[in-house]
Amino acid sequence: MSVLPLDAADDVATAPVAPGRRRRGLPYFLRRPGGIFGAAWLVFMLVASLTAPLWRPYGVAEQDLGDRLSLPSGEHWLGTDPLGRDLLSRIFSAGTEPLLAAAVTVLVAFGIGLPLALIAAERGRRVERVISRVTEVFLALPATILLLAVIGVIGVRTYIIMAILGVMISAAVYRVMLGVAQSVRQRLYIDAARVNGLGSLRVNAVHVLPSMATVVAVQAAQLYGIGLLIVAGLAFLGFGPAEPEPSWGFMIQDASSYVFNAPWLMVPTGLVLALTVVAANELADAIAGKASIARTRGRRNRPLARAVAAAGSPAPPDPGAILEVRDLDVSVDDGPALVTGVSFALAPGRVLGLVGESGCGKTMTARSLMGLLPDGVSVTGGSILWRGRELVGLPEKELSAIRGREIAMISQEPMVALDPMFSVSYQLTQPLRRIRGVGRAEARAIAAQLLQQVGIVDPDRVLRSYPHQLSGGMAQRVAIALALTGQPELLIADEPTTALDVTVQAEILTLLRSLVRDTGLSVVIVSHDLGVVADICDDVAVMYAGQVVESGTAARVLEDPTHPYTMALLGANPHVADGDPVPSRLASIPGTVPAPGDWPTGCRFATRCQFVRDECTTPFPALPAHGGGSVLCIRVHEVHDAGIRWSAEPVGAELAPEAAIEPVPTAGVPR
Amino acid sequence: MLAYVARRLAMAVGTIVAAVVISFLLVHVSDSTPGAVRLGPGATEAQIAAENEALGWNRPLVVQFVDYLGNLVQGDLGTSLIDGRSIGADLIDRVPVTASIAFFATVLSGVLGVLLGVTAAVRGGRLARLITTGSGVALSLPAFWVGILLVYVLAIQTGLLPATGYVPFASDPVGWFTSLTIPVLTLTVGGAAIIARTANAGMREALAQEHIRTLRAMGTPEWRIRYVHALRFASLPVVSVLGIQFIALFGGSVIIENLFALPGLGQAGQFAAASSDIPALIGVVVVATVVVVLTNLLLDLLVAALDPKVRTA
Repeated sequence: MSVLPLDAADDVATAPVAPGRRRRGLPYFLRRPGGIFGAAWLVFMLVASLTAPLWRPYGVAEQDLGDRLSLPSGEHWLGTDPLGRDLLSRIFSAGTEPLLAAAVTVLVAFGIGLPLALIAAERGRRVERVISRVTEVFLALPATILLLAVIGVIGVRTYIIMAILGVMISAAVYRVMLGVAQSVRQRLYIDAARVNGLGSLRVNAVHVLPSMATVVAVQAAQLYGIGLLIVAGLAFLGFGPAEPEPSWGFMIQDASSYVFNAPWLMVPTGLVLALTVVAANELADAIAGKASIARTRGRRNRPLARAVAAAGSPAPPDPGAILEVRDLDVSVDDGPALVTGVSFALAPGRVLGLVGESGCGKTMTARSLMGLLPDGVSVTGGSILWRGRELVGLPEKELSAIRGREIAMISQEPMVALDPMFSVSYQLTQPLRRIRGVGRAEARAIAAQLLQQVGIVDPDRVLRSYPHQLSGGMAQRVAIALALTGQPELLIADEPTTALDVTVQAEILTLLRSLVRDTGLSVVIVSHDLGVVADICDDVAVMYAGQVVESGTAARVLEDPTHPYTMALLGANPHVADGDPVPSRLASIPGTVPAPGDWPTGCRFATRCQFVRDECTTPFPALPAHGGGSVLCIRVHEVHDAGIRWSAEPVGAELAPEAAIEPVPTAGVPR
Repeated sequence: MLAYVARRLAMAVGTIVAAVVISFLLVHVSDSTPGAVRLGPGATEAQIAAENEALGWNRPLVVQFVDYLGNLVQGDLGTSLIDGRSIGADLIDRVPVTASIAFFATVLSGVLGVLLGVTAAVRGGRLARLITTGSGVALSLPAFWVGILLVYVLAIQTGLLPATGYVPFASDPVGWFTSLTIPVLTLTVGGAAIIARTANAGMREALAQEHIRTLRAMGTPEWRIRYVHALRFASLPVVSVLGIQFIALFGGSVIIENLFALPGLGQAGQFAAASSDIPALIGVVVVATVVVVLTNLLLDLLVAALDPKVRTA
């Protein structure tokens, strides 16, 4: 009869289901086997129990002393008890009370806990604190023992007892629901609704509650299962219906005294009770959608793309390049391609920028360089030559030896890139000791030195700190220091400044530039910000919809863009060089990047291009441009060479209503 | 940190006071009186009234409450209405029984649950589905039914262990151990299932964290990523749930004690509830609350030690 913790609450609470996920027809949870079983069994039990007096073959008290403790037979389908009473009739007649009493607990617990949570989430800190303190006290009370005290005082009145249990459990419900309600309320549309003047009740009823429906359903189903166990447990202790009225708990108590000579007796009642609780929990799991997370993880087996390298004789590696990517394809397993035919080369000590809007495949390209693609995504073609060595298809173990030592990475969100549970010192010295093979004291000295190198003035204090004690800029410096621990030759920086304040962005870029200058590091930097590219990159590859549409030296590409997409990006960029007049309008690019799988044939930018013609919809090869670079536009001669520019349209003049105006911001919102 | 400890201590005292208040109010809103309970069904109205007067039942509620609290501070929980024994002394003997069952069941649940949950999260595939489904069923099984099943298998079929009864540690350590084995195993079935779920979810969440990718990008060996970094991250929810688990087992032991005839706290609660022995009931509530509160305090300290965010606050 233990009051189980409402588990999985955290799972669900942190990720409330977006409204509008509902589909027509069967609710999603009834499409899972567990959900179907759970719902069907509960409905069956309820109907069968409520109608038991109508169909049961024997009365609940009808004894047949000549046929005691019998096994299942044609006469007694589930056998008989020590007094020769029919188990089938008794089990189903006993079902009504637990099934309804557990529902009482659920209703009372949510009837109190849910409104309290909504009020606390709405009224702000002080109210929330008072309610939360009171519920904390309630939570710390031993519910089962208190329930016994209630029984001692009011006697065995199951429905009232279960309602009182509901009051006690409402504290736990409140805790779970408060978290959900708060996170729902933080969403913007709630504010919008309030600005629009909707009353508190309407905001809660129309906007907050529907978003909480899934969590409420999950918790209610779980609590229902717990309630069933408690009703049965109380009856087991003798606090249930008095003989000869049947109860599941007492029937199991009865079975326990006959376990020596009639073990069958415990099977039917126990199974029915267990199945009913399992049904409630399965229903909860199905609603929570847990089954989908249980997807295979395990070791990824990445399809080997070596085949591509073996087929046809590959061109000899570029002797001047430290990294050379050729015709790289990255795809979702059994799904659409994310990146196709990407090629670029990087010379030692140079900085290459991969630019484009969100969803262009920049990050996937960057991550494939380290073999760190997300689960379910893999390199399906092409080659990545690192110092003449093929990385595609390399076993995990060998890749692991390259990571950190030869190629290192810094990521977009410095605040979550460091392990919150370990000190900066541990996180820096651990790889130092592993990679450089130095002792503890020396590793600490090197760590302090590295922190100084990344511009931290008091390395000792930072070494003692934990990540949550650092600011974003500081955390990014530590992350860069971490990347430098293995003395890598290539640094992959995925949007390294996007999540930072504008002033800090400039500092981090300055730091990266000085590292390149001082250490001869090569860098691949992923960014959607052309300002970053202009600031730090030697070379640039502009990506659109999984392809490189234009590449070349940064100076030439930015100075003289040849691809319409690059022109549009530059036109939409709000950076203004010193001394230039502020443009009266920014060019915008109508529409959004098409999703992988929806790419048009021919030019993938055709749907958003001002210069689109019929010939754009047929496939065509990339053309040389900018000296060693390339451009992927069939009309490059007619457009760029003729001096035509992407024209800035007045904001709001877009035709298609769905055409979201998405200029490339300087300090963009992290994806 | 000091303010944190002070706040926790205040909460603890508040909880105990709340438990006493609630049980006090419960007793006084009911129709039954201690005189009626003590004298049994044969007594006349006048006798009951006299007995109630003698027991101080007719004094103002506040006076009785303060009186009780005063005695409580001195460790006096009063005497039973049924047989006049000292409730405090009785419960002191019972606490170790319940505590040892709850403690061993929690430890065993923790070890098994973490092993299963981490295995499911790390290995994935069919094994993970088996563990997830199995734990889903296991936590739905009524403990009293699992207990009978285990008695049938371990005591009756194999005869290795005693089916019921309790042997004090002092008189026979081996007997003590075997007498606790089946009760502990019974509670472990559901307990390990809950911990396995928590550990599985925690590990999966941990392995999906951004900082795990940073570690991978540094070429950190996989075992270190899993069993040092991810496990450390997942340890927080697991420890919290283990604490809740101990509390639930402690309170919920009443069923197991009834099934296996163990002289623990829960059994005292059941006897007291069945006979409306009011002072004994309040005593059980108070003692159980104290244990819960102490466990929570210990848990808070443990979480603080594990979580740098709390430790350095």
